[in-house]
Amino acid sequence: MLNRRPAPVRQQPPQSSDGLLLDVRNLKTYFHVMDGVVKAVDGVDLRLAPGSTLGIVGESGSGKSVTALTMMRLLEMPPAEVADGEIWFDGRDLLTLTDEEMRGVRGNDIAMIFQEPMTSLNPVFTVGFQIAEAVRQHQHVSKKEAWNRAIEAVRLVGMSAPERRVKQYPHELSGGMRQRVMIAMALSSNPKLLIADEPTTALDVTIQAQILELIRDLQQRTDTALMLITHDLSVVAETVQHIAVMYAGRVVEAGKVDDVLLSPQHPYTQGLLNSIPGDKKRGKELSAIKGVVPNPFRMPVGCKFQPRCPFQWSRCEEEPGLIEIGGPERRSRCWLQAPEETARREAYEEAAMATVADVVG
Amino acid sequence: MDTPGDRNQASIVVAQLPIGEAVSGPGDIEVALESLNQWQLAWRRFRRHKLAMVGLVIFSAMILLAIFGPIVNPFDPLKIPGAIKPGGDPPSAAHWFGTDDTGRDVFTMVMNGARISVAVGGLSMMIAGFVGVIVGALAGYVGGWADNLLMRVVDVFFAVPFLFVILVAARFFGQGEVIPLILIFGLLSWPLIARLVRAMFLSLREQEFVQAATAAGVSDLRIAFRHILPNTLGPVIVSMTLIMASNIVLEAFVSFLNFGIRQDQTSWGNALSNAQNSLILGNWWWAFFPGMAIALTVIAINFIGDGLRDALDPHSRA
Repeated sequence: MLNRRPAPVRQQPPQSSDGLLLDVRNLKTYFHVMDGVVKAVDGVDLRLAPGSTLGIVGESGSGKSVTALTMMRLLEMPPAEVADGEIWFDGRDLLTLTDEEMRGVRGNDIAMIFQEPMTSLNPVFTVGFQIAEAVRQHQHVSKKEAWNRAIEAVRLVGMSAPERRVKQYPHELSGGMRQRVMIAMALSSNPKLLIADEPTTALDVTIQAQILELIRDLQQRTDTALMLITHDLSVVAETVQHIAVMYAGRVVEAGKVDDVLLSPQHPYTQGLLNSIPGDKKRGKELSAIKGVVPNPFRMPVGCKFQPRCPFQWSRCEEEPGLIEIGGPERRSRCWLQAPEETARREAYEEAAMATVADVVG
Repeated sequence: MDTPGDRNQASIVVAQLPIGEAVSGPGDIEVALESLNQWQLAWRRFRRHKLAMVGLVIFSAMILLAIFGPIVNPFDPLKIPGAIKPGGDPPSAAHWFGTDDTGRDVFTMVMNGARISVAVGGLSMMIAGFVGVIVGALAGYVGGWADNLLMRVVDVFFAVPFLFVILVAARFFGQGEVIPLILIFGLLSWPLIARLVRAMFLSLREQEFVQAATAAGVSDLRIAFRHILPNTLGPVIVSMTLIMASNIVLEAFVSFLNFGIRQDQTSWGNALSNAQNSLILGNWWWAFFPGMAIALTVIAINFIGDGLRDALDPHSRA
């Protein structure tokens, strides 16, 4: 927790950050471990406008959580290292802030909720105490006022009898209730951005829907931007406007959620969608992306997905950048999207449309 | 001891509201549950631990005796009444625990000795707890070079022959006074606590609630002492009781060897030391009653520690 990264030289804000709340550019987070260097995040680009919502999707180890933890500067350094990149948030590069300044950002400008509601609350304090402390951390209010705000926050997240709830201890609440408390705590200081790292993974399905509904509802009412990290495509489909698909530490495809899910422009996204069980596929063997996620110590050359990609050809030996498709919002890290690859793209689209039609029905 | 079934029993405490008072608003059918904090839950479990309750009663009695006994007692522990009867008197109505060969009342010596013995045990325990918690918290939370440095100091403390250091320190710095002896005992028994606190910090700092607190912008110092430390207090309190018990025995031992409290002050160790030549005369009461006082107190404290261990264990949710 100590030994944070020394502040590098301050840079000028980039011109194109205008109108964006968050602009992550070419972020690289490496872990120095005994066997070598794990490039957990290796060139991530993300953009988020104020009040908008972004889902980050990817399988385990794709670097979603590390990206979020790097943004909050919650990683211990070493072993972690931010090798490159900028995180422009509200006009400042978070990577250049001092520890003191960063502490003012955490919980105040950017709040975060974690996957495990059972262990994210301190067992020895009442939930009201913990929310009130979060309030007093950033706002100069009296203890009484902070306590009243805690009650209000608990009411806001839809818990019954808030005056009594705030006096309860975490062990007296269920998982869903605790996640509501975490949300109350996160939103108590009106952050500009809420990062939710797999907020519903530890909850059972009926509670998942309630919590997502709550997050979406509060996000709209408070106009907080939301970054939702999940491995569950159905969660993002229902909750966010924009989506970034991650694979092997990179964003491979980004765009509006409907565009990406209905017409995926990267074979990985297409493969993910194809592996969702659906009505049309009843009785048939479930399809999966062949192969496994690459070993972090032996990443493939060029495109990181090419060993598993059914559309792979010689050009994939060279790594593609994020190629814009009809505008800056819609991007894909695949050579199929290069303007000159018309014939291959058409073949891909034909194959992709068939499977999407299967899934969407 | 609790039976296993007893401990697994689900118990819900319904709030004790005056009859007639509405429990909650209209339409709210929830039962009002009393919110118990860690300490209230622990006390509930502690009360079920019969031996611990016995220990608590004995120990409380000993404390009351130490505080109020010498005030109401007619005898002076140090004044020699004059009419010396060789061998002293056996226990009688006037002298419950008998007298020694100078005519001093043994019961008075036990009561006055309790003051010094319990003070030495209790205060040295507090010093050990205070130093141990701070050192352990720093080592466990800061980590790195601080951890290395502090833990090597702890290793040195464990490596030196404890008794030898105590005896030498007591002779050269103690000079038979109570306060130096408390300091010596306290400053020699903190490493155990420091190791315990460090180990707990190392595991607790990886807990999600610590990350959540960091993500909420809480400062390092506040996380260490406000968020993590309260989670370590259960085991720390348990091992502090054990340190108190062993320091009471240690005081008796050091005083018995005439390295501890000066002979003109009464402690249990001194009372035993007094009695060492008389046992062959058959004057059992000189040694028996101070010895019993030590044994009872130490056993009582150990029972309390045992009860606290069960009561403060977060895994036993009774």
